Amino acid sequence: MNLPRLNRADRLGFASHWLALILAALVLGGCVNATVDEMTYNEPIAGIGESSVVILGRRHAPDYDTEFDFIECIGDHIHSGDPSIEVLNELAFINELYPWFEPRTAPMQPRAIDQLLQLPPVAQRFIEMKLEYMIWIDGNTVDTESTGSMSCGIGPGFAGCFGFGTWGTESEYEATIWDFTDKVEVGRVSAATSGQSYMPAVIVPIPIIAPVQGTACDSLGDQLLEYLSAHH
Amino acid sequence: MVASLVSIILGPDSIGWGRRVALLCLTLFIAGCSSKQVIVEGNFPEPLLDPLPITLGVIYPPAFAQHEFFDEAKGRAESDWLVKTGEAQVAFWDILLGGLFQEVVHIDSWETVQSEGGRIDGVLIPSIAELQYTVPTHTNVKIYEIWMRYEFRLADIAAIHQQDDGALSFKPDDRLAQWPITAYGKTPTAFLQSDEEAVNLAAVVALRDAGAHFITTFGRTPGVAAWLDGLSPRQASGETVSNEPASAIPSPTAGATAGTGADETLEQDTPQDSAAASAATDSASMPAPNSADAPTPNDPADAGNAVVEQAVSAVALDSATAASETAGSRELGGTR
Repeated sequence: MNLPRLNRADRLGFASHWLALILAALVLGGCVNATVDEMTYNEPIAGIGESSVVILGRRHAPDYDTEFDFIECIGDHIHSGDPSIEVLNELAFINELYPWFEPRTAPMQPRAIDQLLQLPPVAQRFIEMKLEYMIWIDGNTVDTESTGSMSCGIGPGFAGCFGFGTWGTESEYEATIWDFTDKVEVGRVSAATSGQSYMPAVIVPIPIIAPVQGTACDSLGDQLLEYLSAHH
Repeated sequence: MVASLVSIILGPDSIGWGRRVALLCLTLFIAGCSSKQVIVEGNFPEPLLDPLPITLGVIYPPAFAQHEFFDEAKGRAESDWLVKTGEAQVAFWDILLGGLFQEVVHIDSWETVQSEGGRIDGVLIPSIAELQYTVPTHTNVKIYEIWMRYEFRLADIAAIHQQDDGALSFKPDDRLAQWPITAYGKTPTAFLQSDEEAVNLAAVVALRDAGAHFITTFGRTPGVAAWLDGLSPRQASGETVSNEPASAIPSPTAGATAGTGADETLEQDTPQDSAAASAATDSASMPAPNSADAPTPNDPADAGNAVVEQAVSAVALDSATAASETAGSRELGGTR
């Protein structure tokens, strides 16, 4: 592929044009809107002590699953904010209690826990875990509209891309907190975030990704940490 | 072939860049059209249960233990798919049944029937009646899905016979129960690794779902419930179940499908018509313990482009014959 020859002035104008575009994208990119709603009660004022918490994703919807890495992100956020809070690993929890937390069998209401506790091995396992709170996260992150175009070419001694692309990303998650001792729901926290990502390309594509899911993780994690921790 | 082309591309310096790029493009083109093979594997957890005080015999027919499905590409944009689930099926059901029952005896020969039959309370024979899958290129939906329908048959050990060719069979009239179990697994592309990994993960999720469905509906299946009721009094009275004659176990109830009267070879899959008839029963017994809120897995049975896999060949128990029959059924492929 042969590129047209440009004189020095054209090259400078061309470069400044793209530099401005990249700077604009850098300024605009990374901007994420976040809306957080919280409704909680019976907050453990003194924290949860030596008890543990498990955070589980809902995966019974036909068209999406709550991402495993998002659940892990929230768990890490809570544990890093207050190392005294023990957050059980989701996969290990589901495997240890198989088949009672599969999409088909997972309790959808706190009262369903009583049915589970009628099974002696399940009740015994919960006692061993010292489980105090079960937090269900439902939601996912999706890419929305995308625009722009980009062309890439390769030739002897040369390869590169040229163009500009942009796309939106939206996250919507809701956390439902169950008090495992009283078998009641004690709160709901939701986070809706959205952002625009950009990818200008002048020879090399430069992705400027809006941290939409990360912001949702931080938002939900902060609220849950505030609820569970005595130090926040 | 791809590897050899790559070696050509990375070969002598005499090959020019243009040719290398052309070969690379050709390699990528061919790789895109090549078949994809998945041997399903995963780590399966033991069920958290108090095992039933029952000694269960289990027969994995070759069509089950070596189960695979093949889907031929319908266009240049698609790939052939060969998914082997047999090993994973046996591994998974071994763990699940081992957790659900006090003892599980694998019945793989007539000698086992004779030597272990006295202490076996019942024999479970699983089969895969139907399997469908979708990948994003089929549906434009960003989800990989696998849907399976099992047919489980429960028989008394006395109903198991040996055929002239050595294969095990049983009289359908002596069947204690027959019931279907459906299972569904999906992997969103958001979790995307490769196509093969996504299909493997969907299959593992489907297997786990099958186990959950089996455990939560086992005792509620009419024929099974009657069988369990028949076992309980004897166990409560301290009688040794294994010494009871087979006729002491209740005769089939409404849950048991009427047989033809002729011996049924264990390797044969369920005929399509009886499978369809039993599907209604299955959908009625689907709800999980949280029945009001039970998820309704996306049933791809209605998807026009789903693949229906059915092994139709009768397969003898000996492995050599079984292997050849599997190859035969592979050629049958699926229909989308």
